[in-house]
Amino acid sequence: MSDYVRRTNNEEVPVTADPGETPAGTVGTGTADLTLDATVAAADVPPELVAQTLGQYFRASWLRVRSGNSGVLPVVLGIVVVAVGFQIANSKFLSAQNLVNLFEQSTVYMLLAMAEIFALLLGEIDLSVGLVMGLGSVVVAELVQPTGADWPWWAAIIATLLACAAVGAIQGTLVSRFRMPSFIVTLGGLLILEGVAIIVLGGSLVGIGNSQYRNEVALYDIFWGTFNPVVSWILMAVLVVGAGTGLWLREASKRRNGLETSPRSLTVLKIALMAAAGIALVAICNVNRAHFGTIEGVPFIIPIVLVVLFACTVLLQRTRFGRYVYAIGGNPEAARRAGVSLPAIRTWGFVLAALISGIAGVLFASWQVSLTTNIIKASNSYVLLAVAAAVIGGTSLFGGRGKTIHGVLGGLVIGGIYNGLYLLGVSSQWIDVVVAGVLLAAALIDVLSRRGATGQA
Amino acid sequence: MTADPSETPAGTAGAGTADLTLDTKVAAADVPPEILAQSLGQYLKAWWLQVRSGNSGVLPVVLAIVIVAVVFEIITPEHAFLRPSNLVYIFGLSTVYMVLAIAETLVLLLAEVDLSTGAVALIGGVIAFKLVQQPGPDWPWWAAVLAALACCGAIGAIQGALTALLRIPSFVVTLAGFLLFSGILVVILGGADSSVNLNTAVPNQNVIYEMVQGLISPVVGWIILAVVVVAVGASLWLRGTARRRQGLVAPPLSLTVIRIALVAIIGAAVVIICSINRGSTLKTVAGVPWVIPIVLVVLGAWTLVLQRTRFGRYIYAIGGNPEAARRAGVRVPAIRIWAFALSSATAALGGILLGSFFYGEYSTNTADPGQLVLYSIAAAVIGGVSLFGGRGKAIHGILGGLLIGGIAFGVSLLNLGSLSTPLTYILPGGVLLAAVLIDVLSRRGAGSVTRV
Repeated sequence: MSDYVRRTNNEEVPVTADPGETPAGTVGTGTADLTLDATVAAADVPPELVAQTLGQYFRASWLRVRSGNSGVLPVVLGIVVVAVGFQIANSKFLSAQNLVNLFEQSTVYMLLAMAEIFALLLGEIDLSVGLVMGLGSVVVAELVQPTGADWPWWAAIIATLLACAAVGAIQGTLVSRFRMPSFIVTLGGLLILEGVAIIVLGGSLVGIGNSQYRNEVALYDIFWGTFNPVVSWILMAVLVVGAGTGLWLREASKRRNGLETSPRSLTVLKIALMAAAGIALVAICNVNRAHFGTIEGVPFIIPIVLVVLFACTVLLQRTRFGRYVYAIGGNPEAARRAGVSLPAIRTWGFVLAALISGIAGVLFASWQVSLTTNIIKASNSYVLLAVAAAVIGGTSLFGGRGKTIHGVLGGLVIGGIYNGLYLLGVSSQWIDVVVAGVLLAAALIDVLSRRGATGQA
Repeated sequence: MTADPSETPAGTAGAGTADLTLDTKVAAADVPPEILAQSLGQYLKAWWLQVRSGNSGVLPVVLAIVIVAVVFEIITPEHAFLRPSNLVYIFGLSTVYMVLAIAETLVLLLAEVDLSTGAVALIGGVIAFKLVQQPGPDWPWWAAVLAALACCGAIGAIQGALTALLRIPSFVVTLAGFLLFSGILVVILGGADSSVNLNTAVPNQNVIYEMVQGLISPVVGWIILAVVVVAVGASLWLRGTARRRQGLVAPPLSLTVIRIALVAIIGAAVVIICSINRGSTLKTVAGVPWVIPIVLVVLGAWTLVLQRTRFGRYIYAIGGNPEAARRAGVRVPAIRIWAFALSSATAALGGILLGSFFYGEYSTNTADPGQLVLYSIAAAVIGGVSLFGGRGKAIHGILGGLLIGGIAFGVSLLNLGSLSTPLTYILPGGVLLAAVLIDVLSRRGAGSVTRV
């Protein structure tokens, strides 16, 4: 885990590489062999820091995978297995219509998994993300009711996010200041939230499906609305060019400053991959997927999830806060002695988890259109899927290891399993059984890979 | 297993230990007061020392039960909370939580947690109900109950093995187990809208139905009470005198007498309450429900296992410090697996009682497995079982279960309209958080005393 702390130090301290063989400030010539000799050290360092060519990069990555740091590899394999398996079982699975459907369903899992990752990285767990989402969905729906609060949609969303963040702050304080076990705090918390959400709901039903009210329509469109195909292409192009330029410029400036950089070919490869994924996504979404009339274009929620993913990635990988989160998850005592304020960072971790759950709540309200007591109760079961998605994605249950992208990929696997089994006509209780099996398998892989990693060290 | 402070060597009747109990505060706080005390006064002083140092035992939960009873009696319409009929109903409702809380206690003592307790309990109940169906398997009731306990024990053993051997965190294993068994529950029930019922006309099925619903006639109730009090009293008395004869430290005689008297008074109160006619003038409903002796047997069995067997000592040892237990030669994985298995088997009994409590009907709507497990953890922790392992007794589960049952029923008595559903979630959640907060703070207190 030490790698995360060191490797993002670029701006402040020009020290990067871990192995003492590569002194900072000199362009590391002749490190080619060291990467293979210093197996142990290399396994702990991101491959782009030690590799000078694409071949070395792949070798270093493989070394890391072998030592238990498998990163996104298992989950990518999982996505391929899910896609191929269900496609063989039902040829509709990979149709454009179903794929868009699958992306849409998965966004809620993705957001909740990203929320859960903040707790998991700290070595804690948040069992209340499902009900924070449930509470958020009820609050946002109630606030835009024309017969009730009648707030503008944006104010309702902001208020909802603030309310959810406040819930996270309370739970985080109980965990961090009083050192109550997080799973009990959030277990008690979810019970209380369930009650509060039912109180907020008041009657038996609240809906946002009335097309006569501007604010309800705005909320409805968050999940169900789409960009038109042309705008989709333009947006995608802007995003890819922007991200590609950013990546390229960062590498170039690092190289100019004589810092360790990844090989140019790798940067080109990354940009190409991004472009290919973007083109594929927009191409799939632009197919008309309606039985009658036209429904086409990229759903709004896909860029929303990408923005959350980007923000969380920057926060965790490029800021001091993110480094502290990893430090605490890796070894709280060491972090404390290094001067990290454990209670503050832990509390903020829970606040962020609840905040992202609140975003999921807004999506959830938009997705469900009308909310009932039963839907609130059902929102609780999403926490299991959130933990499963995060762990399947490659986030460790023991803290300090994982990235937000893992939540997105894990959420896609969970969404794929749900969607695929549903297509095959499997009843919901068997889907639960399958998801439980996947969660156990992911936890087992996590435990075994940790064991492998400590064995090497 | 006897006195900790070296000032009282085992084998000598500790003369002159009177002052030491107060001097060696640190050690005293860690030792059961009956070992140090020679007179009732000393016992109370030593006990108070323990309470002050964070080892408060059953005191908070007993106080909480009293407060809940008084408050609900005052605020319920027509002051109905403490009516005999309601009290008996609370006993019936609470027994489910009590048994599940004892099941959860076994795992909590190891510093693990079992989130699948609720789902496993429901599976146990449905298995037993399915096996006595006629037409159907038509097993004798005892065989069906044993089969349910065995099936759930096997489930527990598997989850325990995943936790103990592979060291996957227990909350993840049992979280997956919760999901898995909630799904399987619907499958063995036969679909989302299915239910399984007991036919009270069939004597074999009626036995299970009567477990909670059946009543012992008042006369028999008094006789059973007398037998229980005499048996408990005799064993307490004989153990005390035997220890004294052999020169071991024993609780003061007056304490033994008080304990026997307490058992007799509580028992007599329960029998009196249950023997009042709570039916109408036309149809008399009176007597102690069968479930009370059943729960007492569970309590007695688990108290014996935890306090008087090697297995029980090992559970406390592992909960206190697994590494120390391992180095002392305890086979930690085996004990962990057994504890999970026995916990799930106990939960299965709770599930059977739950079905009997709901008038012999099991459907997917009977109980929410998620809420059930929360209640059972809450009951155990509220009762005084530590979440951090190594501290707690079976009696704590009983008292915590009674408190949860009392709150759940009290809320349903209040005419709160739309608020009553949310409150059934908020109150247990709030009580759980309060109980854990007390646990955490009292542990902190205990830690500071030891460090002095």
